[in-house]
Amino acid sequence: MTLASLRSFVVHTLVIALVVAMLLPLLYMITMSFRSATEIAQQPLGLPETLRWENYATALSSMNYLRSVLNSVGITVSVTVLVALLGSMAAYPLARNTGRAARVFILLVALGLATPNFVTITPIYVIFRDLGLLDSYPGIVLAFTALNLPLAVFFYVGFIGAIPRDLLEAAKLDNCSDWQTFWHVVRPLLGPATATLSLFVMLMVWNDFTYPLLLLTDKDKFTVTISVYRFVGNQNVQADVLFPAAVLGSLPLLILFVLFQRRIVAGVTAGAVK
Amino acid sequence: MTSKRTMFLFTLPALIVLGVFFVYPIVLTVQMSFTNFTGVGQADPVGLANYERIVSRDRYPAALWVTVKFTTVVVLIQTMAGLFFAAMLHRLPAIRNLCRAALFTPAMMSFVVVGYVWQFIYSPFSGGLNAALTQVGLEGWTRGWLGDPDTALLAIAFAHVWMFTGYTTAIFLAGYANIPAEIEEAGRLDNASSWQRFRYLEVPLLAPSFTINIMLSTIGTLKTFELPFIMTRGGPDGATRTLSLEIIGQLFGKYRFGFASSLSIVMLVIVIAVAVFQNWYLRRREDVS
Repeated sequence: MTLASLRSFVVHTLVIALVVAMLLPLLYMITMSFRSATEIAQQPLGLPETLRWENYATALSSMNYLRSVLNSVGITVSVTVLVALLGSMAAYPLARNTGRAARVFILLVALGLATPNFVTITPIYVIFRDLGLLDSYPGIVLAFTALNLPLAVFFYVGFIGAIPRDLLEAAKLDNCSDWQTFWHVVRPLLGPATATLSLFVMLMVWNDFTYPLLLLTDKDKFTVTISVYRFVGNQNVQADVLFPAAVLGSLPLLILFVLFQRRIVAGVTAGAVK
Repeated sequence: MTSKRTMFLFTLPALIVLGVFFVYPIVLTVQMSFTNFTGVGQADPVGLANYERIVSRDRYPAALWVTVKFTTVVVLIQTMAGLFFAAMLHRLPAIRNLCRAALFTPAMMSFVVVGYVWQFIYSPFSGGLNAALTQVGLEGWTRGWLGDPDTALLAIAFAHVWMFTGYTTAIFLAGYANIPAEIEEAGRLDNASSWQRFRYLEVPLLAPSFTINIMLSTIGTLKTFELPFIMTRGGPDGATRTLSLEIIGQLFGKYRFGFASSLSIVMLVIVIAVAVFQNWYLRRREDVS
């Protein structure tokens, strides 16, 4: 072995070792989920003596898992569709217009991008309570939509601005109405942008903790995150409860990630860089 | 676009949603911050009393200080760790995609799961960290990581960095992909060492990635709530009580809606000021290099 290839081998091994070290907490979570609380108390780092699937059976039955996955899917998909639709519609005239109204709207969007949701959480809670929107699907969907809409408008304005003007002029000459131009000419061109944006929004909504914590108290409406939180929180943090719940809580997204990792990493990165 | 009217119709749905759930709440926050509203009944105007309270008690500047410390530590370590992994993986194309995906995996998990798992790792008796330290002969280092005011904030910051280092790495790698091949080639022909190329070619050319990474992580961390809420509830002795934790505590622990609103306004001003400053400073740096 030459010196150069020896060096390359050492560097590769070192980097791989560091990456594996970063994955240790994940492996720890999975390993611990198959052990009993007594096993962990006696031997905090050992491998499972037997694979205790019953840990999962307990978690599955008492944390209302399937229901909460369905809730998360429903809320996430609704928010993503609404954000993409309302965001692209609003961006369409804004990308072509430089009037004062358009500038004010863009300024509003920029402010929305920078505002942490803690600034609006108090009044949103009060408004929701007064309108009877606490503990309702439409309520939480609208709250998430408003939170993500500024990003979507900002994002789409950039993409629509890059569509050649001739294309839209041609549509006008063909006697397309503004709506027809938007729906049949602009919208199909936004496919890649929508895919990237949706990834971003889905990740954010699926994993969000604050809104469901404050706006949902009905067990049947819990999202996955909040159902993990309530389930583990109620149990005085026992290892054989915590770890299976943690695995189940991350499982849907981890499966998606294993299947589509390349697209997800590329999409989320592109979304951030835009 | 044919007329002002159609333009208005296209933006109308977004305007309604943003109006009701963003603009109106902000106006309401400002208004409530000058009252003693408790969530129900009448709100009496109290002038600047809420703001005076924020500056006159040690508790609130302390929460702000915790937030600043947390943000500084996270942004520094995360940027450096992300840059390190990106620089290494850029040089190792054979394992680049696999390692990038592996590092990114924790970002797919929720704060709740990450918080609970790390809380257990840090726990004094059956936690993984103390057990690992004992096994390598460092018994002296073991402690209740989250129960000790000296280590609690750092421990949470570390969990946060662990979660998002892959994200930072991916953004830096995207920046690397934008460096023209000829420039890299020129550096190699000049016999520059790997370190020299990194220091004098890559770091300056990665300036836009620095801007994105630093701004994203700063804004994300200044409002941090989830991990301290789940792992320590702000304890021990306020060592991990961030500004957002204080807001939620005032809101749902003490029903001081008016006071919580004034804290929110302080937070808004800070976040916007930091974002504007960073944007100006980092973009200027991009132009220089």
